[in-house]
This record gives sequence, structure tokens and C-alpha cells, in this order.
Amino acid sequence: MRSVTYLFLLLLSAVFISSSTMHDYYVGVTVIEYAEEQQSLQIINQIYIDDFEKALRERYNDTITLAEDDEPEIVDTYMSKYLAKMLKVKVNGKEVNFKFIGKEYIDDITYSYLEIENISNIKTIEVTNKALFDVISEQQNIVRLKMLGKNRSFLLVRDNDYCMLNFN
Amino acid sequence: MKTLKYFLFSFLFVSGAAFAQNEIKPERKPGHTNQNKFKQLYDEFATPNMFRTGSGAPGPAYYQQQADYKMDIEIDDVNARLYGDETITYTNNSPDVLTYLWVQLDQNMRSRDSKSPLINGSGIGPATTPSRAASTYLKERFDGGFNIEHVKDVNGKDLPHMINRTMMRIELPEPMNTGDQFSFQIKWWYNINDHVKDGGRSGYEYFAENDNRIYVMAQFYPRMAVYNDVEGWQNSQFWGRDEFALPFGNFDVNITVPADHLLDGTGYLTNREEVYTKEMMKRYNEAKKSYDKPVIIVTEEEARKTEKSKSTKKKTWKLSAQMVRDFGFATSRKFIWDMMAVKIGDRDVMAVSMYSKEGNPLWEQWSTKAVASTLKSYSRMTFDYPYHKAISVHAPMGMEYPMICYNFGRPDENGNYSDRTKFGMISVIIHEVGHNFFPMIVNSDERQWTWMDEGLNTFVQYVAEQDFGEWYPAALSEGMEAYPSRRGPAKNIVRYMGGNQDFIAPIMTKGLNTYQFGSNAYSKPATGLNILRETVMGRDLFDYSFREYANRWMFKHPTPEDFFRTMEDASAVDLDWFWRGWFYTTDYTDIGIKEVKKFAVTNNPNAEGTQLANRYNIDPNTLVYFVGEGDEGYDEALNNGLALEEMPTVKEYIMDNFTPEQQKEMKKSPKYFYQVTFDKPGGLVMPLIVEYEYDDGTKEKVTYPAQIWRLNDKEVSRAIASDKAIVSITVDPDLETADVDTTNNSWPREVEESDFDKFKNKVKN
Repeated sequence: MRSVTYLFLLLLSAVFISSSTMHDYYVGVTVIEYAEEQQSLQIINQIYIDDFEKALRERYNDTITLAEDDEPEIVDTYMSKYLAKMLKVKVNGKEVNFKFIGKEYIDDITYSYLEIENISNIKTIEVTNKALFDVISEQQNIVRLKMLGKNRSFLLVRDNDYCMLNFN
Repeated sequence: MKTLKYFLFSFLFVSGAAFAQNEIKPERKPGHTNQNKFKQLYDEFATPNMFRTGSGAPGPAYYQQQADYKMDIEIDDVNARLYGDETITYTNNSPDVLTYLWVQLDQNMRSRDSKSPLINGSGIGPATTPSRAASTYLKERFDGGFNIEHVKDVNGKDLPHMINRTMMRIELPEPMNTGDQFSFQIKWWYNINDHVKDGGRSGYEYFAENDNRIYVMAQFYPRMAVYNDVEGWQNSQFWGRDEFALPFGNFDVNITVPADHLLDGTGYLTNREEVYTKEMMKRYNEAKKSYDKPVIIVTEEEARKTEKSKSTKKKTWKLSAQMVRDFGFATSRKFIWDMMAVKIGDRDVMAVSMYSKEGNPLWEQWSTKAVASTLKSYSRMTFDYPYHKAISVHAPMGMEYPMICYNFGRPDENGNYSDRTKFGMISVIIHEVGHNFFPMIVNSDERQWTWMDEGLNTFVQYVAEQDFGEWYPAALSEGMEAYPSRRGPAKNIVRYMGGNQDFIAPIMTKGLNTYQFGSNAYSKPATGLNILRETVMGRDLFDYSFREYANRWMFKHPTPEDFFRTMEDASAVDLDWFWRGWFYTTDYTDIGIKEVKKFAVTNNPNAEGTQLANRYNIDPNTLVYFVGEGDEGYDEALNNGLALEEMPTVKEYIMDNFTPEQQKEMKKSPKYFYQVTFDKPGGLVMPLIVEYEYDDGTKEKVTYPAQIWRLNDKEVSRAIASDKAIVSITVDPDLETADVDTTNNSWPREVEESDFDKFKNKVKN
């Protein structure tokens, strides 16, 4: 009975990484950089287009298709809403909200650009990134924090979706 | 004197940078072993021997085992079960005496007591969905392991055997000597998995409408393991991810399925007239003569009708295959079927597609054409496709077997599909059909080395995709100039190779143990080969060597060294440095411009010049001098440069030593001199590709071979002399080397806007 958890993980991985041209594994990348001049946290979030589409379809609207010529504008709203729910950032212990600047598609990846303005005097930064954990059990999210002379990467998985960097 | 002058000249000009580095330090560094990036791979490579030679070819004592199968298979469509009875005839061609045989029971990875689920870490999150919680904690594990009813010799006597998870050892009644054959029978059954729900590279997809299934079957029979000179028995367990190692053999397989099913698989269909209707035969004969478009053997309309009812009768399809390493088949009453002929050399090969109505309108348009196109491209890059057909079957996976493969790509319920779906489908078909060449024919060991089939195949896939775009421009979307390949171009691997080193493994790692499987075993080796082809070796040398490898190892079992060695043996290009860096390490490319110093030629020595002349006891008035911008003796008058041949000392030398005819043939006299220092923060060695742009707008691209780094892995300088002033210098201008950081690639240093600011400004405007 207990082995079912593991089985589930394993089986999913077996489907997705069979000998196919499916995309390279299930890894999202979120780079958060502090732009001192602008006093803002600049976030570039990378998610495979098919995965993002799957998440948005399951949650909001199963008729949307991403990266089409006539992509409806509502897609940005969905993306913004989804990321706001899944990606949480705290600075000095206080949750801060980001503005969804926009997104672009390059190859098979969605790059979302998010910005948190009026940030100064960072002592700690905490990031929770649950993006796609709701639809892909083996999803992994790499979070890279580049600020104040530090450059650290964290690998987040469903059961460990939080990371923190301390500047004290 | 003259020689000395010249010596000094070159000394001044070339060796400036060396001085600084040769400072004598008071403390001695400890010694070290040979860490040179160009060290030959003697330590990493297996020693050549009589089985495998130093040239990378099969040696005089090369051997391989053979396994022939006769099978009777039946599918119980009501219970989704497969029943099988097989006779395996095993031939020992090795010089060794065998006392037992190993047989692979891959389906045991799905048995209730499988250890596969236990090798992955897991944990508990704070919340989950009810359905996931139920499937995780409440659902009984699907039991899909083999039930072995008996293992007997040909006289019906039980053979002692032992099952260790996915491997079965059979005791031989008598040891097998070289050349001996042994036949034995295995009878088994198992529950077929739903590959959509439970995963796997074989199984069925269930369609609730009309209660139907499409079976795409593989690993359904106990299969002989490989015995060879490098591994002995390749009896590494099947955990679920890394694929297979299989010997070649001949197959005669009778498959019994419901009478209204359509079936195709590995091998010749030997009772076609029994299982086809007259109408199908007629259309099939037309298809054999149709080289430009597929002929429909079973139409969508016919398939829609068939899937609405169920026959209780059975039908047996007979397939016979020679020199294949495996066997797969697909069967369903939902199939639409089309075929066309494709000329390969002087033979006709059939390109075939089987799909259900769910795959249309996409599949009828592109599947068979993609198959035909792939066979042509791969045959050009390797050898003529030796089998008589290649089938693409519609199933939500991507998996390959000899002559048959299972491919995804499905429009939505209304028949609409995106570009991603379309190109995803064409790409997966090209990829899986391409696997016929690697590893079905060039039969590498997938269990050990995923990259040997996936990497090589993904590389040729890139070439085949580009061909497809050229041959079928109608498949491209508006505004596209070429097929949108994802893997191949060097710049596409930068994100992976420049990523977090904690989650990157060298390519030369067993497939099961790699991080980022797709990038590691597919993209990176494919990109590496593309870099060799386009940048390091050139297409002629690369293609000749790659074809040589494919032909040497066609219907044989190559190892990584056989590939590496053949590529060098056939091209006379020493590539040990490339294999070492790209395949054995996780190093990345980062090459940049550290410094550019401008010099001018003058007859007036500064203090340093005088000192040097004095040291060699030369009259300072007989030399020419190079003085650097900002150095003593440099003034603004020198900014526009003086022509070298106008220097009195040089002029005199030329007049004394060259005839007027020879003087005419001399290079245009340079006026501008630069010492450019390139540095290499990245560990990978790559050719140094530099584009110099001059003040008249012309550009010159120079490629310094990778060996420029052989004596100093960190930095190297080049002296550039020109009659035109250089206005900018760019390293790797066409992004050919997978340079992970291009911010240091230009002089004058371009301040690159961050990606974020770039995007933000774009949105604003």
C-alpha cells in the first residue's frame, strides 16, 4: 500500500521520459535578481509551454491554447493569477506582491517577467514556488537568487517548496 | 645579424604576454599529474583488443550471440491480458563456455513486489487533491508482472530457473561451448497495463466511447539478455527508465486477436491474403506503387464503423522478421491505415501509419510522409534502411521498436491543433522512426549508455527535420523559413550547460543515474555532434566518419569507445580533447576578450626598446619598434599608424633582400597593430572563433583551432597586424560553441541590458 506513492512518481516519470522527443524533464527555473538601481526585485520565471498550458487549462479554462497567433488576451490574466498563487516572495518576513510585466515564448518555454518594486534594505528573502506542483507530480523548480553579492540556487520539489536566503 | 633581427622582431611582437607569467615565485608549487585538456584518453578508454580494435572497428575475434524466437501470442481483449508461448533458440558464438542463460522479464518492473518504486525519494506535502490522495494511499498497486507458467527444454522437461526481479537465470543441462545451440520454451501470461494511466513503454490506451482499446505492445515476452566481450552477461536490472540491450535474431510470431482488429508489427506479414479483405489487398497493391502520397488501406469511415461493434471471432496474424533485436506490434479495431512506397537505394520500402480517428486530421496529412522522409534522410547519413517497412502508430507516447514505433500528437475533440502539436508529432515520428538506425540496427547498449542511441539519434533527427522542412514546405507555418528544430543548434544547450552544476551529470553516466535526463542524454550529445559537424570538423569529414561508424557497427554491438575512435580514425582529426570535455565532464564553454592593446610601429625606441637592444648588443638604430598605446614614447601622432614598410630599417631590409618581382607579391603593408588577449573562464576547450571588424566596415572571421589553448588553458594572446584600424572584435559571433556567457565576448565591451530590462522596455514601447 505504501509503495503506491512511489509508484505514482515512478510511473509518471516512466511516461514522460520514455524514448521520445518530449521536452527535457520537468524543471522550471525562476531567477530572482535584485536591481539595486531600480530598487526592485526582477523575476524571470521559465515554464515549459505545454506544462503551463496544462496547468491553466485544468484550473481556469480548458479551451485555451498557448503560443498561438490568435492567443486571447485573457491568457496573461490567467498566468498572472496562477503565478500569484503559486509563487510567493517574502522580504524581511513580509510578503511582497509582484506585478506581471508580461511574457514571451522562446522555443518551447514561457518566460514570464515579474517585478516587485520599492525594495530596499533586504535582510532576508524567502521564496515558495509551487508552480506546476498541482498538475505534475515530478515537477522540480530551480530557484536562483542573485542579489547583494550572493548567487544561490535551490531545487524545490512538491514536498519541499521553500527556500530562504539570509543576508545578516 | 639578419636572423637575429628577425628573431628579436618576433620576440618583441609575440612574447610580450609570456613575460608577466614567467615571474619567478619564491615558493615552489607542488608537482602534478598530466591535467592537460589535450591529454589522450588512454586512461578512460578500454584497451583495444582482438574483439574491438584501436581504430574503433570490430576486431578479428569480434563475435555476437544470436537469439531466435518462435512465438504464439494471444490477446484477451475482454480482460486485457496477454498469453504467450515461445521457443527461444540461443546460439553461443562467444569463445566462452556458458553454464547458464539470463532472460529479461521487463514486465516484472510492474509486479506487486517490484522494487522500482522504492528507489525514488518521496515525502509528504501539507495538502493534496482528493484524487491524488486516493491514488497514492488507497489504490492497490496494479499487478502487471509476468506469470511464468513453465520453463522447459524441447523435450518438455522442466529447466531449473531462478527469478531475480526483472532477470531470470536458466540453468543449462549441459554447458554450451562455442557454436552450440540450445532451445527452450517459456509459457507465460500477464495483465496488460494502461500506459496512459500507469505509464510504460507498452500497454493499451482505453477509449470509453465504444469501450475500445488500442494496444501498442512491446517487452511482452521473456527476452534474451546480451552476452558480450565487454559486459559478460548484460544483466543490469530494468528499473523502468533506462532502456534495453538485446541480441539480434529471427522471429516467427503468430498473434491471435479479435477478428475485427487490424494488426501490424515487426517483420513480414506472411499471411496477408488471409487477414486482409479483398478491398484492402487492392488498395495495398496501389500503395506499393505510390511514391508521392499515401494510399488509404482502411479509411476513417470504415474504422468508425468497425469500432462500434465487437467481433467474438478470432484471427491470427503471422509475422516473420530476420535480423532484428526486438519485436513490437500494435492492434485495435479502431485503426485507420495508410501506406506509401519510398525508394531507398534500388529497393522499395513501405512507409506505414496506423491511427485512430482521434489522430485526424493531423495523422492522415503528415505521419506517413514523415516516415518516408525520415528513411531517406537517415539512409543518406548512415546506410540504406535495410528493412522492408517502417510503421508509425498513433499512441500518446514516443517509443521505438524494429520497423514499428508509437508516437504522440493529437488534435482536440474538434480536430483543431496548434503548431506545437503538429511539429511535436512530426518530430516524434522522425525521432522514433530514426531509432531504427540507432539502436535497432547500430545496436548499442541502451541500459548502460542512453546517449549512444538517444544522442546520436537526436543529432540525425535534427538533420532529418531540416530536410523535412525543405522537402515539405507546406508543413511549415507562415513566416517559417526552416523546420523549427528544438535540439541541435549550439545556442539551445546553453541554458542546460550553464545551469546549476549540482544537477548536471557528465554524458558518460549510466542513464538511470543522470539528472535532467533529456538534456543529458538527448540534447547535449546531439549538440556536441552538431558542433563537431559544423564548427570543428566540417561536414565532409564529419559525415564520412559518422557514416563509417554506422556501417562498421550495422547489425553489431558498439561501445562508446568504438564511436569515439572511429570518428577520429576516419577523419584524421584528433578529438580526444572534445570527447574528454563534452562527454566526460560537465565543463561549459565561456571564452571572452580580456584586453585589446593597440601598438604602432616606429623607429624611435623608448626606454624598454633600447634596453632590449642593448641586452642583445644590437645597434638600436637598426631595429624597428612597437610601442603600445599609453606606453612611454607613444604620442597621438601614432594614432593613425605608420606603414611598416615605410620604416627606414624595414625598407632597407626589403630592398636588400627581395627582388622587385618578389616585392610586388608581398602583403599589403600593415599600419595598425593590436595585441588581443582572449581569456577562457570556462573549463571547456573550443576553437576560438573571432570576428574582426575594420573601420571600412569590412569584417574578417578567423577560427583559431582549439589547440590554441594547449599550453595555457586560461588565456592566450594574438598579434593582429592590419592596414585598416579595427573598430570591434567579437568572439563566437554566430553562437556556434555553446558559450554560456556572452557578456565578455565583445570589444569594445558592449554593456548588455539585462534580459529583464530588455523585455520591460520592449513591453513599454
